Amino acid sequence: MIRLLNICVIVALVVAAVDVYRIKFESTRKAEQVARLRLDIRREHDGVAELRAQWSKLDNPIRIQELAQRHLSLRIIDSRQFDQLDRLPQRPPDLPPGSPDQIGNMLESRDAPTASILSPRNPR
Amino acid sequence: MTATDAALAMAAATPPATKVPWRRALVRTLLYGRNVDRAAKTRARLGLAIVVFALGYALIAGRLIMFAAVPEGHMGRRTMAQDAVATARPDILDRSGEILATDVRAPSLFAEPNRIIDIDEATELLSAVLPDLDAVELRERLGSKRHFVWLKRDITPKQRAEIYRLGLPGIGFLPENKRVYPNGAEVSHLIGHVNIDNQGIAGIEKWLDGSGLADLHLAGLATDRLQEPVNLAVDLRVQHALRDELMKARDKYKAKAAAGVIVAVRTGEIVSMVSVPDYDPNNPREALDPNRINRLTTGVYEMGSTFKALTLAMALDSGKINLNSTFDARVPLHFGKFEIHDAHPEGRFLTLSEVFTYSSNIGAARVALAMGVDQHKAFLKKLGQLDRLRTELPESAEPLVPRHWGELNTITIAFGHGLSVAPLQAVMGICALMNGGYLIPPTFLRRSEQQAQAIATRVIKPETSDKMRYLMRLNAEKGTARQADVPGYYVGGKTGTSEKVVGGRYSKDRVLNSFTAVLPADDPRYLLLIMLDEPQPLPETHGFRTSGWNAVPTGGAVIARVAPLLGIQPRFDLPPADQLILATSTASSR
Repeated sequence: MIRLLNICVIVALVVAAVDVYRIKFESTRKAEQVARLRLDIRREHDGVAELRAQWSKLDNPIRIQELAQRHLSLRIIDSRQFDQLDRLPQRPPDLPPGSPDQIGNMLESRDAPTASILSPRNPR
Repeated sequence: MTATDAALAMAAATPPATKVPWRRALVRTLLYGRNVDRAAKTRARLGLAIVVFALGYALIAGRLIMFAAVPEGHMGRRTMAQDAVATARPDILDRSGEILATDVRAPSLFAEPNRIIDIDEATELLSAVLPDLDAVELRERLGSKRHFVWLKRDITPKQRAEIYRLGLPGIGFLPENKRVYPNGAEVSHLIGHVNIDNQGIAGIEKWLDGSGLADLHLAGLATDRLQEPVNLAVDLRVQHALRDELMKARDKYKAKAAAGVIVAVRTGEIVSMVSVPDYDPNNPREALDPNRINRLTTGVYEMGSTFKALTLAMALDSGKINLNSTFDARVPLHFGKFEIHDAHPEGRFLTLSEVFTYSSNIGAARVALAMGVDQHKAFLKKLGQLDRLRTELPESAEPLVPRHWGELNTITIAFGHGLSVAPLQAVMGICALMNGGYLIPPTFLRRSEQQAQAIATRVIKPETSDKMRYLMRLNAEKGTARQADVPGYYVGGKTGTSEKVVGGRYSKDRVLNSFTAVLPADDPRYLLLIMLDEPQPLPETHGFRTSGWNAVPTGGAVIARVAPLLGIQPRFDLPPADQLILATSTASSR
C-alpha cells in the first residue's frame, strides 16, 4: 500500500517537474518574443515619428506656397468666390449618354469674341 | 519520524534523574531548568517549526500567485530607460493636428576613455569619418581620465555604420531623442526651443517643462513616446498666412520689424502670433539676436491711437457721455507748457463718434479729462493694462506705468502715449470691449467658450461693447480703416500711429504703427492686431508714414487671406453700422 503510494508520488513528481520545466522554457521563449516584439514596436514607432516629421516638413505651408507660385497660376481666393449652397442654381437634368450637347452647340454656334468671355480669363 | 517517536518514548520512560550522572544532571539543570518536561517542550518546538515552515511556503505560494495574476509593471520599462538619454517630449500639435514639434531618434557617439587602447589611432580613424570634429579636442577628450565622454551628439545612421565598422574598443552609441521643428521659423516665438539635452528653454517648450514634464524626467518616466501630445490653439495655416503677409509688408515698407496676432474674441485663444524677424527653432542660436525678440509679449510699446478705444469705452460705460456728446477740438489743447495737436485738425466741435473716426488727440484728451484721473487709472487697471500679463509663454514684460499719474499723464495716455504696454495686453483689453464686456486672459492652449466664461470678468456693460463695435465699424466705413474693409467680412478697425521716443523726444519720422481689426463687427469672432515698427514712406503712400497707409492695407491683405481659413462666411449687402449694430443694440437694451 505504502509502496504503491510512494510510486504514485514519484511518478507525480517526475510529471510535475517535466511540466514545470516545459512551462518555464515556454515562458522564457514567450518573454524573448515579447521583448523582440516590443523592440519592433519601438522601431516602428520611431519610424512613424520620423516619417510624420518628414511629412509635415514636406507639407509645410512655406514650401507648398513656393511650389504653387512656381508651377500653378492660382491666386488668393476672393470673398466673392464663396456662396451658399441653397443659392446655387438648379442642377441641369441628366442627359442620356450620346445625346447632343445642347449648350455646347449653342456656344459653338456663337461667334468667337463672345465665347472668349466665357473662357477662363487671364491665365498668368 | 520513528526516531523522534522513540526518543520521545525514551524521554517519557526515563525516570527522573536517578540514573543520570550528576554532572550531566547539573548541565541539564543549567540548560533547561529544573522540573521541565522535555517531551512537551520537544513537541512544542516541532509545532513551532511546522508553523514557521508552513508560513514560509505560504508566503512563497502567495508571491507566486501575485506574480501570475498581476501583469508585469515597470519591469519592461527599466530596460528601455538606459537607451534614451535625452528624454522624450510630447509632440506639439496645432489646432487641426498638424505637427509643430516632434521627437526623432538619432544616435549619439560616446567614448569610455579608460577602455581605449590606442588614442592616436582612435582619433585618426574617428576624424576621418567625422571631419567636422576638432581633432585636438577629440584627442584631449579620449585621453581624459573620465569614464564617459560624449564625442558627438546626433550623428547620421550612415556615420554610425561607418564608425561601427572601425571596430574601435571603448567607442559606443546611444540612441537619443532629438527635437525637430518641421515647420521651421513659422511658429518660432510661440513654441520656443530646447537645448541639447531636450529641455525646454523658451516658449511653450519651457512651459511644458514647468508644468510637470521636468518632474517626469527626474523620475525617469518620460523616456518613451507614450505621452499625450499637446494641442495648441494656434492654426498653422493662419499662422503662415499672417507671417507671409507680414514679411511682404516688412519688405515693402522697409520696416524694422512687423508683428501680428489673431485672437478668438470669445475664448481668448491665440490663433496666430507672428513677430518678424523671427528665428528657426532648429537653430536656436539665432534666437539670441536682440532684434529677433517677440515684440508682442517681450516688448512694451506706446500703442498710440489704438488706446483711444479704451478711453472712449470708459466714457461710454460711465453713462455720463454718449455717442453724440461734443468736445471742443477747435484749437490745440494747452496744458502747462505742453500743447496737444491733432494730426488732421478739424477746427470745430466733434461728437464722440467723430473723435474716434478722425482720431482726434484733443478730443480723446478732453474725454479722459472729463472722466477724471482716478477713474481713468482705475479703468485701465480693470482692463489689465497696468499689470504684467502672464500667459503660458515664460517671456513677458511689465508695462511702463508713470510713477506719478497726473492730469498730463491722463491727457497723453488718453491717446496712447505715456503708457507702454505689451501689444498682447492691449489686444486683451480691446477684446473685452468687443466681446460684450468680458475680460478674458489670452491663452495659447485650446479653450472652450464655457471655460472662457468661467474665468472671465465683466469689465464693461454689453451696451457699451455694442457702441464700441459700432465705432470700430464706422471707422472702416468712413474713417482711417477704409483700406482694410474687405468686402463680405464686415470688418471694424482702429488705426494707431505712435511716435517713438528718440533721445528723450518724440520723433516725427520714427513711428510705430498699429492696426486693430475686429471681424465681423456685428458678431465678433476674431480680433487682429498688426504692428509695423518704423515703416518708411513710399511713393505709393504719397510720402505718408501713418498707419492708414501701411498697417491698414497689410491688415486688409491678412483679413482677405485668413478669414476663409478661420471659417468666417462672407455676407454681402449688409446695412451700414448705425442700422445693423446700433439699432439692434438699443432695441435689445430697452
